Amino acid sequence: MGPARSLRRTNPITIIVGIALCIVILVFLLSPSGADAAASELRKANAASNPLSPPTSPFRKENEKSSNGKRIPPPVVHYYMNNVTTTNSPEANRETVLILTPLARFYQEYWDNLLSLTYPHELITLAFIIPKNRDGNAATAALQEQISKTQKTGPEKKRFASIIIERQDFEPPLASQSEAERHKMENQKARRAAMSKARNSLLFTTLGPSTSWVLWLDSDIIETPHSLIQDLASHDKPIIVPNCFQRYQDPKTKQDKERPYDFNSWQDSETARKLGEGMGNDDILLEGYADMATYRTLMAYLVEDNGDTTQEIPLDGVGGTALLVKAEVHRDGAMFPPFPFYHLIETEGFAKMAKRLGWSATGLPNYKVYHYNE
Amino acid sequence: MLPRHHGSSYSNGKKHDYEEKTYSISPHRSTPPAARKRRQLLIRLGGVLAVLLFGFFVWPGVSILSIFSFGFLSSGEDFQLETVRYYDLSNVQGTARGWEREERILLCAPLRDAESHLRMFFSHLHNFTYPHHLIDLAFLVSDSKDRTLPLLSELLEQLQADEDPKMPYGEISIIEKDFGQKVNQDVESRHGFAAQASRRKLMAQARNWLLSAALRPYHSWVYWRDVDVETAPFTILEDLMRHNKDVIVPNVWRPLPDWLGGEQPYDLNSWQESETALALADTLDEDAVIVEGYAEYATWRPHLAYLRDPYGDPDMEMDIDGVGGVSILAKAKVFRSGVHFPAFSFEKHAETEGFGKMAKRMQFSVVGLPHYTIWHLYEPSVDDIRHMEEMEQERQAREQEEKDRVERMKKIKDQFADPNNQWEKDKTDIQNEAMKEKKAKEDAEAGTEKPAAGPESSAKPETPVGALAEAKVEDVTTVKNKPAA
Repeated sequence: MGPARSLRRTNPITIIVGIALCIVILVFLLSPSGADAAASELRKANAASNPLSPPTSPFRKENEKSSNGKRIPPPVVHYYMNNVTTTNSPEANRETVLILTPLARFYQEYWDNLLSLTYPHELITLAFIIPKNRDGNAATAALQEQISKTQKTGPEKKRFASIIIERQDFEPPLASQSEAERHKMENQKARRAAMSKARNSLLFTTLGPSTSWVLWLDSDIIETPHSLIQDLASHDKPIIVPNCFQRYQDPKTKQDKERPYDFNSWQDSETARKLGEGMGNDDILLEGYADMATYRTLMAYLVEDNGDTTQEIPLDGVGGTALLVKAEVHRDGAMFPPFPFYHLIETEGFAKMAKRLGWSATGLPNYKVYHYNE
Repeated sequence: MLPRHHGSSYSNGKKHDYEEKTYSISPHRSTPPAARKRRQLLIRLGGVLAVLLFGFFVWPGVSILSIFSFGFLSSGEDFQLETVRYYDLSNVQGTARGWEREERILLCAPLRDAESHLRMFFSHLHNFTYPHHLIDLAFLVSDSKDRTLPLLSELLEQLQADEDPKMPYGEISIIEKDFGQKVNQDVESRHGFAAQASRRKLMAQARNWLLSAALRPYHSWVYWRDVDVETAPFTILEDLMRHNKDVIVPNVWRPLPDWLGGEQPYDLNSWQESETALALADTLDEDAVIVEGYAEYATWRPHLAYLRDPYGDPDMEMDIDGVGGVSILAKAKVFRSGVHFPAFSFEKHAETEGFGKMAKRMQFSVVGLPHYTIWHLYEPSVDDIRHMEEMEQERQAREQEEKDRVERMKKIKDQFADPNNQWEKDKTDIQNEAMKEKKAKEDAEAGTEKPAAGPESSAKPETPVGALAEAKVEDVTTVKNKPAA
């Protein structure tokens, strides 16, 4: 009874202060969950009512059949593609990003890097295409395990809007995926043609009507800056490529070092053009092989120690290890040619086709992402 | 227990029973205990209300429940959302009897100012025999100034709400996207030579946007269909599918008015490549686009349209290189591997012809059916309209002439009919006169012998007019001449 009576006697100002304090505490308690609530509202708002829907949206599982067992026809859905924007501040404009990965092997580091991206995960859709062979099955199993960890039991903030797994409908031309075998020159054309088909299949079945940006990220990219999407998008370029490096340990000095990895981002040269003119229709120009000297300017070698990470250079060919593309470039038809297109194939051919459609490519020589070292 | 009020700071001399009193804004005013309690209750309620209201303004989207549960329950609904999809693309390759394997078709139709054709198109949709729930519809409406969009939504809503469970289709997407179309859509500017290249590139762009937004990993086939097809077999999807080709098109003709020959090949974009055309392509600029059906580019290619035999085998196939876009059935894997409608000059071709070329480049089979025909709507061209106006004028002139002639004949007849009657009258009168004269003479000669002959002679000229015309004319003329002589 004592404490109750003391309360009765307190000054009204004290009471008002008390209420204000309570409100402040409530605000403090609820504000983080308020932001989460907004994100989860967005997830719910983007959800489709039928499984027949763009794969970039989650969907509600029921509804396939009504209570009397009759099929409920899917609704008529309007998509306003005039409102799909691609700006230099995608986060503020709630622009959706589709991360596309042709998956040959699953690396835990790759997945951890994805999870640590700071771009709001409710705006990110992941899509994978995996070959139907033994390696592919293993990769699928590993991937699915991680997915269920993240999407079902993980913190809501880390969950992605939607995830699509596709199994490829053709066999990869090479049985072995080892680095040495993969890079043999005579194997390159068939390998990259198959790779192009895989990329195109993944792209054109998942793009949907609401994607703003497409980020191509190879499954062996294990380290990127966490703000990769924001950083690349802030340049507001139709096609933009960071420089792909590989960390290694110098066998002699036992020191950690890094070396350029992707040689497909380049500026064209007169020599390469002449080489191309002398070639047959079905021959391709390749980069990084001693018996085909093209004298192109390779972005891999333009890196400066402690250089400006925002420095831009124009490119004629791009690599696909990490590559941010405005969705409208792909929608206009720019794809990865599985055939020699101006003697170029896959990502390099893509840059050329985009150019034919009026879109140019840009490189960031000092902005690095890192490739797995086998 | 000691009363706490002794230690209270309110010691202004006025004695109050603090024990009876709880919180009050003005503790020194003496009020009856019951009224005080009521007021306190009100104030407390007001306080709670204020907190709640404040909460609503700060977190407008959050339900009361989530405030009280501190957000722990708010994510409950998310567990019902499916976020992971798994597809095996080897299950959606497309086979000859897709309807038995429940293979899904994506039907794509690009639309621009197509209001007038929509009802006709929906009658085709109603009639398709391929299971409707296996067909997903995707429309791209761009730069339309008429009521295409509202009418399309209305018709689709009706279609999905149809009583007949076999009628509604699968996923339905209406995509709105404007490309800032500058080229006019009327027949003349659509088919003028100069505008072709840029027009075809814009068309290609629209098709690519539509396909890339609507193609899903569960599609086995993609069917492109123009809305201005007037007549097509209901079984067209199965008919084309049975051939099990990567890309297949029927022959497209159009009906014509009789004066233009009754019918005509319409789609000239389905053709086989020729040496002449390849040589021509080599001479052209990188961005040039070869278009068929124009004198500027004589390609001498065999066209699917011209090979039609109305009594030929409808299953006969012909390998082609360029493809027309009126009605294309293609396996989805063709589009998945990257074949699209080039919006740039690809091997000197754009849009559907470039699509055919690119499919061939990737070793897909591209086939046309010369004797399987669908009919495009006949829209008269400006020339046709001019010609039809001329014909109409001619026809009117002819009619007028005919009318004038009839009128003239009637007039002439009228003019001649009157004198004829007059003639007859005159004739009889004159004859009567003549008779009378004759009689008078006879009377005068015979005196008063035959007075009864009068009525007999007066009836006589009336009866023999027709039979004795010849003789009488002679009579009359002689009679007529008499007075003059």
